[in-house]
Amino acid sequence: MQTTEIFSSQLPVGEILSIKRGRYEPKQKQANAKRISIVSGTHGDELEGQYVIYLLSKWLKENPDAINGIIDLYPAVNALGIDTITRGFPIYEVDLNRAFPGNKRDFLPGQLVHALAMDIKGSDIAIDIHSSNIFLKEIPQIRINKEFSPSTLPLAKKLNCDFIWIHDAVTVLEATFSHTMNQMGTKTLVVEMGVGMTLTQVYGQQLLSGILNLMKSEGIITTDQEFEQREPFSSEVGDVFYINSPSAGLFVQSIKHCAIIKKGDVIGTIVDPLSGEVRDTLEAPSGGILFTLREFPVVYEGSLIARIFGENDEKN
Amino acid sequence: MKKIEILRIDSLNRSPLIVEGYLFEGCDPTAPSVAIVGAMEGTTILPLYTASKLVDFLKNSLDDEKKLRGNILVIPSINHYALNINERFWPLDKTDINMMFPGYGEGETTQRIAKKLFDALQGYTHGIILETREGVSTCMPYIKLFESGYENIDAAKMFGYRLIHHKTLKPTDTVSLQYNWQLWGTSAYSLICPSDLHVELHTSNEVFEGIISFLGKCGIIDYKVLSGYESTIVKNSDVEVIQTAKSGIFIPTKKIGSYVKKDEIIGKVIHALEGEVIHKILSPCNGLIACAYKNGLILENAVAFRVVKSG
Ligand SMILES: [Zn+2]
Repeated sequence: MQTTEIFSSQLPVGEILSIKRGRYEPKQKQANAKRISIVSGTHGDELEGQYVIYLLSKWLKENPDAINGIIDLYPAVNALGIDTITRGFPIYEVDLNRAFPGNKRDFLPGQLVHALAMDIKGSDIAIDIHSSNIFLKEIPQIRINKEFSPSTLPLAKKLNCDFIWIHDAVTVLEATFSHTMNQMGTKTLVVEMGVGMTLTQVYGQQLLSGILNLMKSEGIITTDQEFEQREPFSSEVGDVFYINSPSAGLFVQSIKHCAIIKKGDVIGTIVDPLSGEVRDTLEAPSGGILFTLREFPVVYEGSLIARIFGENDEKN
Repeated sequence: MKKIEILRIDSLNRSPLIVEGYLFEGCDPTAPSVAIVGAMEGTTILPLYTASKLVDFLKNSLDDEKKLRGNILVIPSINHYALNINERFWPLDKTDINMMFPGYGEGETTQRIAKKLFDALQGYTHGIILETREGVSTCMPYIKLFESGYENIDAAKMFGYRLIHHKTLKPTDTVSLQYNWQLWGTSAYSLICPSDLHVELHTSNEVFEGIISFLGKCGIIDYKVLSGYESTIVKNSDVEVIQTAKSGIFIPTKKIGSYVKKDEIIGKVIHALEGEVIHKILSPCNGLIACAYKNGLILENAVAFRVVKSG
């Protein structure tokens, strides 16, 4: 593997901010070799992607003969944020995934994302691994913008995830990595899985299989190993139900994440520690799969508690 | 004057967030009306100070109630929770209320706050949003208007500030209050205040006088105002963005609001450990310093100054 610094900046006091890429290539250069870029850590409080990239890098190191294409790894886009438990870019408090495409004359976060986009430009495929935030736990899922779904959906199905969420185009999301890269011709998938500030090892293994499976089917690796490819639920054939907290309090889970639930099942309660009272009991508005569940207990009115995907026949 | 409750949000351990508006009802139903939104975020003081001064002015300085022509709603603070603990954004999830518009009543906490606020702001002729710059910079007071197709530049000139930044719309601007308010028929203006952490009387008066000038010239209050500046419309291409080549300790040598000549030294950067000057910042053009980096430590390639070109 070859390590390259794709962006660097001298910080004010004796430190250099450095964003690195690791590249695996075939031993013999191959004409028409496909290129895939794997990105994580755009949000500094999301660490699951770092673990997946570790597993992938380890696999590639152990299977050098399998490599037919270029595999670029960018584990820590918001390097300063990751090492300081800061979701946004420190100092500026900017969400890097709302700062694309950036430019060379932009402020530091804008220069950084610009350097990343320019470095990845030309890749056939990119995968941007997110792990929700510190508040919510997500089952491994792919988020896809409807606009780009004809080219990205077939790839998403190979990633061994449990759920594919196809959403409508929203203007504000044009400032994201995936929108920028898709527009530049790189088929880009966004993975959301796990929860912030944690490593969920089983999810890491699951996505590793998915990435290897995708790379194998695209000819980026050649191997006899078989990789798991689950059949994901797709939001095309059902509806997503949101459960937001009706009151402030402490959210106590009554159910396991990722469970298949029935309409009316209790998801959890909002309690008041001082009075010992239950303020609200939250019930599932639909049957289906609970793919998002709140991990961080302190809630206000409106705080997201859970999301359920209900297939159409479940609803009736 | 009527105090009206705009919204209320409960908390697990803090006392409820109660956002109130001060409604001053005018005597002339044909006069234009205005709503003024103060601090949506913390870690700055001028949006809050200016709005609260305005409440005092409308209560105590108009000696005749006939002088109040149109309706005026002032909401000095939306985000007490952030202001009280010196946070910038919504303290639990760090979301920016000004990126949640038009809001959603069934959504996340800050989407609900935005929805309730937005509902209370409907139907006004004009809308003034007191903001500060994003990023680590401060500026002279100016009006920011998006190139949205709905902006009212002529009315923006009535503030009498030196500059009106007529800004290219970015994707993230489409979820701001200004943009959505305009879409719903109100002539909305963002008044960008200096990002001071304390009240500096000279600049805070300048901000305040601009609003009074606007209210007077629009005929919302009957009040003799002294003219301000004939505002210059500034497009993105009229601004020289001056970045520092080096990081270190930043020492501006020219103040915001001063005119500078091409190649004049306007700031320097000092080695943070060894004290020597490692970079001199020169103005690439004649013009007016509108904006400057505000911290003592500056990053490499950070924007140190924004100079509006003249000559
Ligand atoms: Zn993320």
